[in-house]
Amino acid sequence: MDYQLDDNQRVLLSALQTILADHADLPQAARLTYAHYHAGLQTLLAENGFLHVGRDLGPLEAALVTIEAATIPSYVEVAGSALILPQLLPQDDLTGPIALLNKADLSKPHRNLPIAGFALVDMDEDAAVLAIDPAAIEPVETILAYPYGRFREMPDLSRARILPGAGPLLRQWWRVALCAEFAGAVRAAVAFTVDYVKQRKVLGKPVGAYQVVQHRLVQCHQIGQALHYLTLRAAWSGTARDASLAATYAQHHVQKLLFDLHQFNGAMGVTTEHLLHFWTYRLRALQAEAGGVSAAALDVATHLWGAVPEPRTADAPSPVKHIAA
Amino acid sequence: MEFGWTEQQVAYRNEVRQALADLLPADWYETYVPESYASDLQVDFSRDFCAGLAARGLLVPHWPVQYGGNGSDDWLHFILGEEMKAAGEPRGPQYMNINWIGPTLMRFGSEAQRGQHLAGIASGKVIWCQGFSEPNAGTDLAALRTKAERQGDHYIINGSKIWTSYARKADWCFLLARTGTERKDISVFLIPMATPGVSVTSFPGLIKDGHLNEVFFTDVTIPATARVGKEGQGWEIITYALSYERVGVPRYHTGLKALELAIARLKAEGRYADPIIRARAGVIAAKFEAARVLTYLVVDQRVKKLPATTDANLARVCALDAVNELMDFLTEFVPDSLRGGATLLEDYYRINIPAGITGGTNEIQLDLIARNGLGLPTR
Repeated sequence: MDYQLDDNQRVLLSALQTILADHADLPQAARLTYAHYHAGLQTLLAENGFLHVGRDLGPLEAALVTIEAATIPSYVEVAGSALILPQLLPQDDLTGPIALLNKADLSKPHRNLPIAGFALVDMDEDAAVLAIDPAAIEPVETILAYPYGRFREMPDLSRARILPGAGPLLRQWWRVALCAEFAGAVRAAVAFTVDYVKQRKVLGKPVGAYQVVQHRLVQCHQIGQALHYLTLRAAWSGTARDASLAATYAQHHVQKLLFDLHQFNGAMGVTTEHLLHFWTYRLRALQAEAGGVSAAALDVATHLWGAVPEPRTADAPSPVKHIAA
Repeated sequence: MEFGWTEQQVAYRNEVRQALADLLPADWYETYVPESYASDLQVDFSRDFCAGLAARGLLVPHWPVQYGGNGSDDWLHFILGEEMKAAGEPRGPQYMNINWIGPTLMRFGSEAQRGQHLAGIASGKVIWCQGFSEPNAGTDLAALRTKAERQGDHYIINGSKIWTSYARKADWCFLLARTGTERKDISVFLIPMATPGVSVTSFPGLIKDGHLNEVFFTDVTIPATARVGKEGQGWEIITYALSYERVGVPRYHTGLKALELAIARLKAEGRYADPIIRARAGVIAAKFEAARVLTYLVVDQRVKKLPATTDANLARVCALDAVNELMDFLTEFVPDSLRGGATLLEDYYRINIPAGITGGTNEIQLDLIARNGLGLPTR
């Protein structure tokens, strides 16, 4: 058990932080938008090997990079490229950006479709790799802080590359990936809010001096900290159990995080110029992904206490009679 | 960074589990655990159990060799604590002796005090209680009023302590008393509970028997040699002592165990198939795991001798949330656990009624994190 970063991990994050500090500026024109995909930064991260870190170093390092990249208000697609692809397609060298879809709702708007080169599709038992033609995607405007789009026509999955039996693995790493983005966004949103409540005065003192604000803000901070380590543990262990636990924890807390963080930013928090929404509405976007909290929590139950026994068929012998006999 | 156990740690956990299997009576879970670890039954049993642990080198393994330990690292000590808590804490009150009373005496006790007490604690035969809280001094410990007046080479102690777990059975009290007029003029005394003028009264409450005691000190005369450290050094000593407890009880371990019991019961009743029940239980498990990773973070910091942060407070806040969720789950889905139908779950519930109060209230934890962790202003 070692919770401290090793030297390589420290250097990796330090290099990433330098790039983010120098190149992750939010253009003035993007300040009033709901989401800003930073194509230039995406290219820069790819060129500098950060999107390859999952293949070069491993999933833990990929999760660390994803978390860090999720702290900036602009969006770059790191989670899918760095974290999921190496696990799902270890022999391939595909690069993102990627979209993550579920076969059951292909007709609906999806995150990342307008920027994606291809999509990974959860087909339940199997997974599929679906090439995306940008001309086939219609952008969708939403307050969720990712680029969203929908297929102009339903894609033909028969032309997709099928990965037999890879559905559970896709869901597992989808969960780790969403948790990593979630953890980075919570960290940034809490830091942004802490800064705001130190400055903003109400009734003669800073908002952050009120105990009722402090306690709830601490709870938000605590959720973010716990999720950070749950996510890293899930990336390190590579188990579906740990991925489900982390996703359950993240998605369960969306309501509290959104309410409290916006509440403490007051009316400014509902304006797009205030930046908060770039992080909080990522959390909202991730709330229902990979099955949402209900599916994740049910998976936790199965991992910890076993599956639900199959209902007895009519012709099966009754256990009661068996015991009586 | 990595999140697994070493082979040595796994082997140690197995050794502790084997000791539990060997040393606990066959009716441990049926007879002893439901009585709670502060009950007279368990406190008496702890003298045998801890002696057995001591014989196996599992009572004070983290202590220095000169005091009967083998200097094992904090991870092994923590694994030991996890397994003991998960088994219903058969060490009873002696976890205090081992965790902080002993180490505090090593640091601040006189040679005579160390000679007198450390061997006793390491033998597993001695029961202590902590004389800290008073009717008007709990969270604000520095408001305590129990007074120790110096008279020559003696002190005369008058006052009372409350919420003093194990006091009925304790041999010794680790007492905080006021020795001056300034707020932090506090000293520590080691008082034999059999000293004339010391009396204990128990009172009923929602939590299990053995925790709710009041200890009265009426003209109790003790030699000045019973004082630990210098006069007025109590605040420093108690801060040091409590820093040993900064990780707190591994609530995730006992919580997940209780949740497992509840699930077993729901399975037996044919109710496990209910997705609402399974999803709720899954969320609670995730919350306990969150508390686990934060707690391990703190242990790791301690092992590496890193400066204390507010992460320990965060871990406690996190665990309390999970405990509350589980108590709610039990009363909703296993309602007979509070109606005499599931004694172990009732014990879990009742022990945890004051979970947000003991060892520093939840609000104090939140205050500390707000100020020292997030740097929020006080005004």
